[in-house]
Parts: sequence; structure tokens; C-alpha cells
Amino acid sequence: MSLIKVHEVTKTYKGGDGVVEALKNINLDIAEGEFLALMGPSGSGKSTLLSVLGGLNPPTSGKLMIDDIDVYALAPEQLADFRHEYVGFVFQQYQLIPYLTALENVMLPLAITSRPGKVQRDMAQTVLDKVGLGAKSLRLPNQLSGGEQNRVAIARAIVNEPAIIFADEPTGSLDSKTAVELLELFQSLNQGGLTIIMVTHNQENLEWVSRAVYIRDGVLES
Amino acid sequence: MRLTDIALQNLRRRKMRSALLVLSVVIGVASIIFLYTTTQAMKEDVANKLDQFGSNILILPDTGEAMTFGGITVEAPTQVKELDMSLIPLMKTIKNKETLATIAPKLLVDTKIKGQTILLLGVDFEQELHLKKWWKLNGLAKNQIPSANEVILGSEVAQSLGLSPKQTITIKEKDFTVAGIIQPTGSTENDQAIFIDLAVLQKLTNRPNAISLIETAALCYTCPIEEVTQQLSAKLPGTKVTALKSTLESRDDTVNRFNLFARIVSLILFLASSLVITMTMKSSVEERTREIGILRAIGFRKRHIIQIILTEAGLLGSLGGLLGFLLGMGAAVQYGSILVRAQVPIPWQSNLLAYAILASLLISLIASLNPAWKAARLDPTESLRYM
Repeated sequence: MSLIKVHEVTKTYKGGDGVVEALKNINLDIAEGEFLALMGPSGSGKSTLLSVLGGLNPPTSGKLMIDDIDVYALAPEQLADFRHEYVGFVFQQYQLIPYLTALENVMLPLAITSRPGKVQRDMAQTVLDKVGLGAKSLRLPNQLSGGEQNRVAIARAIVNEPAIIFADEPTGSLDSKTAVELLELFQSLNQGGLTIIMVTHNQENLEWVSRAVYIRDGVLES
Repeated sequence: MRLTDIALQNLRRRKMRSALLVLSVVIGVASIIFLYTTTQAMKEDVANKLDQFGSNILILPDTGEAMTFGGITVEAPTQVKELDMSLIPLMKTIKNKETLATIAPKLLVDTKIKGQTILLLGVDFEQELHLKKWWKLNGLAKNQIPSANEVILGSEVAQSLGLSPKQTITIKEKDFTVAGIIQPTGSTENDQAIFIDLAVLQKLTNRPNAISLIETAALCYTCPIEEVTQQLSAKLPGTKVTALKSTLESRDDTVNRFNLFARIVSLILFLASSLVITMTMKSSVEERTREIGILRAIGFRKRHIIQIILTEAGLLGSLGGLLGFLLGMGAAVQYGSILVRAQVPIPWQSNLLAYAILASLLISLIASLNPAWKAARLDPTESLRYM
């Protein structure tokens, strides 16, 4: 059964040269527990599709259903709650808050829950242990390497136990050894039941995913 | 972790920006506190000086007829109902007795000297000189009180009788030494009169205890003069107690000008502080666009973002208020009186602390509302840009 259903999604922008069609009539079903790679050349629309799938970027037309919820029919604050409950993001440049330690960055999604501070701390520490950074939990982002920051970003994405992880070029700025470690981590999370959708342009990453879809000029290729 | 922790951590990490915002609040609050307290002291000082600068209450016999003083008309004193000295101890029994700084009784008698009709004013010299601080006296040293066999002459009397200090004048067959001559004041009762010891004049005119009127200076910085007037009327039967409105109005006018000045400057400082806080918070929000985008992307609601920004502003505002109070109050207590040359010391006023903190908290919150609202409305995709 599909966890995510994308129906006739189109996204247009007003650019300097007039209206730009970033996504054209996208139809896509993603099953629960899939590890999907969204592939395509630079500017093809894959990151735009990821932001639409993640509830961050409403489409110009079409519908997105996740767990039978019409995502963009939700009111803005309900949409924020939806992202909090269903979705974890791993951004391209990690996007950690620079003044918070690794542990505090991971605790961020828990800060708006009613969980007591100690429970939050324990949950964040457990997840950091899981991504292999338990010993560096009190370091600030600028005291961590790129790969370590990426792991903190993953820990932050999964701490709230979401249904889906959206990752945008997570291996883009990593050396090959660190990239493999990260993909192994994703694979292990996926094997634990987490649905992962990863944007990548690296063909080598395909051996880790369960399915890949290609997008070119805003059109999904089968 | 709570939203407050996020705000606190941001403040700790961005020390320079936080310090700048606190500094802007400190400068605003300290200036307002300093200005407020020193202006209060200036007001009190001016009021005290004005209160000492002549009488503001006049006690006359209740004759049912108008009697003027300062252009005095005492054509036939014997026909006028007189007051007596027993009133003075009574005056000191009113509720606001501590406000009566000077009580200057007077006996007014006319006499002929060298063929001229001249007004004799029997006075208590000590009280009279205290009341008439603006007198400039030739021949009399500062703080010197004339004795019972000395007199003070008004300038016109001295001129018309050809007298100068240390010379002798005969009044009602008794010789007196001229202790001093008042430099021209422009008022009849000073320039055309001879001031003589009250007890001596009572004896010379065979009217023991008699007085014509009492001038009083009430220090009314803290008390309404009308109340003192009413209290005196109640205690002194057969008298007419009048507050000199012109003196009061001029005093109030001066004091009110100080108030207005202080309010205008405070308002300007208030607006300037608010502007600085708004600009600082606005630039802080702009600097954190990406961070706010991350928080929105992971599910923070608009109110969570507003709460974080307002918590930061509130904490910095309160800290600025506290430090501003300490700085402003400390400077005012140490240097305020010296700076404005006021003789009134400025006390440490702890009660202003609550106002300082509350006001700076409110300014900070109000000034940050717009940047906070704009931050909350940021589109997470736009904030993160890369998507």
C-alpha cells in the first residue's frame, strides 16, 4: 500500500524570463518502507519535488496524499504539525543551528513537545549513539567534521520517530568513505522500517536504494 | 529543552549583538532615570527657593473691608481691628505646621519725622530678613540681625531724610541707629518705610502685643497651600487668611515648565530606544532567516517562533532595564545634584526599579513584535533557499 501518493502535481514559478514550470504533471506512488532515490541532472526539479513531498512547498496544482492525508489541504499551522509528526529532513548543508550543541540540535524537534527535559535528553542521546556520535554530543557544529554534522542532521531528523525521511544530496559534500558510512546508516534505518526519499545525482548511490526515479526538465521519467 | 532554552542559548552565543541591544536599553533607561530624578530634585529645589522667596500667605484682621499690602493702605490704624501676638503660637498648632517656614508679624504705624509722614513697620527682624531674602542692604553684614535700638530704612526714606548707615534717627522721641538701608526694590512697602523692632514699636505706641498683619511663607512643595490656608483660618478667629495666588501661580508655572521639559526629553529618549531595539531585533531576525526556516521545516508553529524572539527581547530588555536603572540612579545620586546645582540631595529610589524593568520589558516586546511576526511568516522553503 502506498504511503505517499503524488497526483498530477505541477509547480510553476515566476522567474525573470516569465513563468517557469519546475514540475509538470508528476504522478508518483511511494510505498511504506521504500528507500527511494530521486535522480536527475542539476536544475531538473528533483529538489523542488522533494520540498513538495515534504510539505514545505505547496504545488501550483495537483494533490499530495501522505498516509491518506491531503497534505496541502491542511491549514498552515496544521501543516507545521504534520511536518513535525510525519517528516524528518536532512538538508543539503546539514542546516544545524550553530549556537546549539549536537545534543541540543537533535533535541530541537522535541522542544515543542510536552516531554520532560530528561526524557528529551535521553532520546536525543540514544539517537546520537545510534548514528555513532554519542561521545561528541556536547560539541558545537563548528567543532564537528562535515560527515559528523551530517550524522547530527540525520539524528535530528529521526529523533521524533517520523514516518518518512527526506534527504537532499546528503552525500554531496562528503568524501567517498564518509558517504558510504552515511548510506549504510540510511540503509540500516530503512531496514528498521523507515521510508527514505533521497535526492542524489550520484549513480554510485543507487546500489543502496530499493528504487530510483528520474526527473528531467520537471518531468518524471519511468 | 524548551523554547526559552533556545532563546537563552542564542543570546549566549551572539554575545556582541545581545550586548548591543542591552546597551541601547541601558542608555535609554539610564538617561530617563537620571533625567527624571534630577528634574525632580531641580523641581524641589526651585520650589523651595520660590517658597522661601517671599510670603505666600497673608493674615489680616477680618474687617469686612479690603486692606491692601504692597501698596498698603493704613490711613488710620487705630480704626482698623488689630490682631495680637497670641495668634502666633496658635498658628503653630495646625496640622501642616511644619510647612510654615517663616512667620513674620508686623505692626504698621504712621509717624511724622522732619515734617514727613512715614510708615513705621514693626517687625521681628530675624523672621523679616529670612522672608525678604532678595533685599540688598547697605551697611548690614550678611546674616547680621539688627538689635532693638537699630532700624532699617527703605531707600526712599533714607534719601528724603538724608540718612546713611550708622547715623542716628529719632522716632517718637527715641534715638535709633541706622543699621542698614535697603537698596531700591521698586515696591512701596519696602522703599517708603522704616523697619523697627516689633516689641519696641509696640511699646512706643503703647499697644502691647498689637500686630496689624502676619506674613507667612509656607514651604508647600508637598502640601496644597489651600489646605494650609484653611487650617489657619480654622485656628485663627477674627482673621482673614489669604493665599497669594500670583506667587503660587508663578511658582507652579516654573515647576510645570520643568515637568514639561523632562517629559519631552524622556519621550524623545523613549522613542530613540524603541527605534534602536526595533532595528536591532529586525537585523537579528534577518540574520537568522535560515535558522527560522529550519525550525519551521521541522514543525515549529508561528507562535513558537514568535515566542522565541519575544523571549529573547524580553530577557534583554529586562536586563537592560535593571542595568539602566543601576547606572541612571547611581549617576543621579552621585552627580545629579552637583550637575544641576540643586541643593536638594537625590535619594536612591528603589521603587523606580520596577518601573524601569517593566517599561524596558514592554518597549522591547512592542519593538520586537513586528520583526517576530515577520519571522514567523517566513516561508521555510524561501528561508532555506536551496530547495
